[in-house]
Amino acid sequence: MPTPILKPEDKVFKNLDGADDWSIKGYKKRGGYKGLKKILKTDPADIIDTLKKSALRGRGGAGFPTGLKWSFMPRPDGKRPNYLVCNADEGEPGTCKDRDILRFDPHTLVEGMIVGCHTLGAETGYIYVRGEYYDESSRLQQALDEAYEAGLLGKNIESTGVNVDVYLHLGAGAYICGEETALLESLEGKKGQPRLKPPFPAGYGLYGCPTTVNNVETIAQVPAILKNGLDWWTRWGRENNHGTKIFSISGAVNKPCNVEAPMSIPLKELIETYADGVIGGWDNLAAIIPGGSSTPMLNPEQAGEVLMDFDGLRELGTGLGTAAVVVMNKEVDVLAVMTRISGFYKHESCGQCTPCREGVGWVYRLMSRLAEGEGSKEELDQLFNLTKRIEGRTICAFADGAMWPVQGTLKHFRDEFERRLSA
Amino acid sequence: MTEKITVIVNGHEVQVPQGATVMDACTKAEQEIPRFCYHERLSVAGNCRMCLVEVEGAPKPVASCHFPAADGMKVNTESETTKEARKGTMEFLLANHPLDCPICDQGGECDLQDIAVSYGSDRSRFNEMKRSVDDRDIGPLIKTVMTRCIHCTRCVRFATEVAGVEEFGATGRGENMEIGTYVERALESELAGNMIDLCPVGALTNKPYAYTARPWELQHTNGIDVMDACGSHISIDHRAGQVMRVTPRECNAINEEWIADTARFSWDGLATNRLTAPLVRKGKKLTETDWPTAFKAIKTALDKAKPQKIAGVLGNQQAAEDAFAFNAFMQHTLATANVDCRTDGSATDASQRALYTMGTPIEQLEQADAVLLIGCNPRLEAPMANLRLRKVVRNGSATVFNLGAPADLTYATTELGDNVQLLEALNDPKHKVFKALKKAENPVVIVGSGSLQRDDGAAIVNHAYKLAEAVDALRLDWNGFNIIQQHAGRVAALDMGVLPDKDGMSAADISSAAQQGQLDVLFVYGEGDMPPQQLTGAGLTVYIGTHRTTLAEQADVVLPAASYTEKTALWANAEGRVQESFKAVNPPLHAKEDWKIFRALSAEVAPADIGPLPFDSQAQLRELMAARHPAYAAIGQLVPATEAIKLSRASKLNSAPLQPTVQEFYRQNVITQHSAVMTECQKLANERTQPQQKAA
Repeated sequence: MPTPILKPEDKVFKNLDGADDWSIKGYKKRGGYKGLKKILKTDPADIIDTLKKSALRGRGGAGFPTGLKWSFMPRPDGKRPNYLVCNADEGEPGTCKDRDILRFDPHTLVEGMIVGCHTLGAETGYIYVRGEYYDESSRLQQALDEAYEAGLLGKNIESTGVNVDVYLHLGAGAYICGEETALLESLEGKKGQPRLKPPFPAGYGLYGCPTTVNNVETIAQVPAILKNGLDWWTRWGRENNHGTKIFSISGAVNKPCNVEAPMSIPLKELIETYADGVIGGWDNLAAIIPGGSSTPMLNPEQAGEVLMDFDGLRELGTGLGTAAVVVMNKEVDVLAVMTRISGFYKHESCGQCTPCREGVGWVYRLMSRLAEGEGSKEELDQLFNLTKRIEGRTICAFADGAMWPVQGTLKHFRDEFERRLSA
Repeated sequence: MTEKITVIVNGHEVQVPQGATVMDACTKAEQEIPRFCYHERLSVAGNCRMCLVEVEGAPKPVASCHFPAADGMKVNTESETTKEARKGTMEFLLANHPLDCPICDQGGECDLQDIAVSYGSDRSRFNEMKRSVDDRDIGPLIKTVMTRCIHCTRCVRFATEVAGVEEFGATGRGENMEIGTYVERALESELAGNMIDLCPVGALTNKPYAYTARPWELQHTNGIDVMDACGSHISIDHRAGQVMRVTPRECNAINEEWIADTARFSWDGLATNRLTAPLVRKGKKLTETDWPTAFKAIKTALDKAKPQKIAGVLGNQQAAEDAFAFNAFMQHTLATANVDCRTDGSATDASQRALYTMGTPIEQLEQADAVLLIGCNPRLEAPMANLRLRKVVRNGSATVFNLGAPADLTYATTELGDNVQLLEALNDPKHKVFKALKKAENPVVIVGSGSLQRDDGAAIVNHAYKLAEAVDALRLDWNGFNIIQQHAGRVAALDMGVLPDKDGMSAADISSAAQQGQLDVLFVYGEGDMPPQQLTGAGLTVYIGTHRTTLAEQADVVLPAASYTEKTALWANAEGRVQESFKAVNPPLHAKEDWKIFRALSAEVAPADIGPLPFDSQAQLRELMAARHPAYAAIGQLVPATEAIKLSRASKLNSAPLQPTVQEFYRQNVITQHSAVMTECQKLANERTQPQQKAA
């Protein structure tokens, strides 16, 4: 049975394609901010409870249960304020979902920030937008201004006694600032380098205060869940993977797109329904990166069966990540693509800890050499061994994300390496 | 008392306090954990990843330096996972590290070398091009070879956290990350040299020491630094009778493990322009001679002189034995009361120790919560005390008020202006500073010794003392009244009573008497604060010292003495703590240890009824000193002053502004003045403060 195509009223991001009015007028016409007052009068504990039941999982890549994350936040003690920080530093290659939210439906995020701040006991929220999204950040700032004007931000929102201020901050162009603690450092005006954990942000975050960091899509989906109810939300997707999700489909497909679809949709169906299929047909498929460049790739056989959700992809040793599907067909030099991705990680390593600083460049250079047929087959083993010496040895997960695609390539395309090396 | 938790390291249970790290637990279990970035006295960076260990149940190895230990946690430092993690990190560290150990000054005392041998692999798999990094010019003290840098950021953290100069940082990211000052210029810190010790590789090395010795050739002698009055513990590293460098020794009570740059880099001043043989004036020229001839010249003059017409002044940098021997020689052998160590003209009241030493031990400054500085720049006058003050300001537990010339002390101060008359107002319980001090649990009042040189010096001390009393800084369990001396020899000289008695002349009187031709014999022992021309005009001037200075040049007889590295001696620091420094090398050529000179001279010149000074060995000498002052019976200990303070009557405070007393930090004594390195540092410092002159 094919996965249903979402009707407009079932979509969280009704203007994801930008066809309609992005402003507060258009958003309200689409039902936005309706029922906000009721949510702001709801006890935060009840909201967190609903979120826990919804099984909403972080849309930024790690898939951590949002309700659980929010429950880690202490209630404000009057000494230190709580903060909600929105991670809009969308930098994962292949991913462009948050960008369309910011420019075509920014009020979904603004409403999410209001609800999030209320739930977490924060009176201040920050939205950290990647520096390259200059136009998008301008649009978002306009949306924030509109919300202030409409009394939806500021003091005593909708006469509920809830105070929320939201500030927009533009990053300076570093991928690592998408890592939540590096983001906090950058927000504090320091060099964007991940912090040691523990302590975690919920205990010691922005300016040393309890902080929750969430992805744009996650925050924007919260009001919809609360308004439409758990029945609506759990209608989509499998157990523990419920809801709708934006998929960014790019690469060797006929119609690259951003699309909101139900979770757990089969990958093949996703590509054929929304992206008009692989260029040259499904049989021409070489490999698919399922969730942004740091997730290991799938071979055509796996791609034909897998369901697009957190658990489905984890079973195959990869992950949903940001749900950025990058399709490579047989005309694509997969080794060249993966080497380029490895080069990206070399460029973006923050340089703080040893294995990543010294290792990612080494891996990139070795892989470049091997992809061009220079080197020995023993060096293929060495390459794999190096990735294992980097993975899991660093302060943050960047190095893991930098190594997985290399490991994935070696897993599925070792014979191609060997062919080039013996040629 | 914090609760203890039990951690199992390699199967052995150890107890550590709640909040300890995995590394603490491993240390407790006597398991060595290799590390590069971790340092006890710096914040935890966790970036080198060398200290990774396996913790049972954790999905990946954890960085033991920051990971909190938990009750029942099982740590394995010998497992394959741990070994493999260390090997991995080592491989990455060495990938881009140059293999230039044979020409690297760090060789032999390099953490990277040592740890690579213990935990690394015996071969490299790195077949790519190695990275090279441009070197940085960060001044005359530190040589950089940045290709060797392993980015542990110890230097950055030291500069930012301890030294308080945010001039060091990492630019670039990933493998292009570089440590440097961003704008290429010398570090503006009086503690920069400590980065050399902190650097675990040969990226930052000692520039003046470069290529002169290997660590395994050096002998280490425990010494006490005498460039300031803190009494920092140092190691004098020497080879074949020559001091090659000076490094710090750990001493939690004083210098932790840091030393000021003046202590570390002034050793070249020990080998420049030294007096190597006695000199006697023949006409206009000083000519070299032997000891008996020099003594005979002195005896001839003394025989004709009356005791009232004999005088002596003591310099700033003389050891306790030497001050004692000099004093005994003057007062006992020559029976003159004209002797003084206060060549700065200060009115220091030496009747009670509390009036010329620090009441608060340096270490205990960390418990201070409100501090009032009076005419004192601790950063330049007592860098080690300043570090403690910086610590308490930085962690938010203390406020520092500065009554004196405004200065950058590396931490925030509340400036009270430079009018010392404000002290009267401060004694008012309604004044905000009084309230802050009164409210504080451990208030501290610090008077700089420089302010004692003023006409109203005694009044300043009186007011400061009264204030300290009023705000409860003087209790049985807390002594918050401090007078910080700047010179290493001053406390001992005052302890030993190198002062005129009622009938004697003070240093100022001696100076004017000499210039008016009223002195027959003047002994000038060491360099003090008096300009040389103020010590001319005596019938015969005898200079005893280490360097051929202007004072030596204008003397008639010059006797060569030993420098601080050339004798075993006691030094009393600003706290009044008596510490022993050991002889590392011999005095140059014919120079002698100072107290022996006075002992020998006394035998030559003493009248028969008095006889030579009553000590034939250093042990006998020390017995006499201990009898004179109890602190000298307790070497290394602090003997708290117990006597109640009796304040002398003092004049009124005057309105002259408090001036900074340290003009040239890098050239405060005869050794640093003869050091080319220190001279260069001072030149750079002057250029920073007077940039307009440079432009002109």
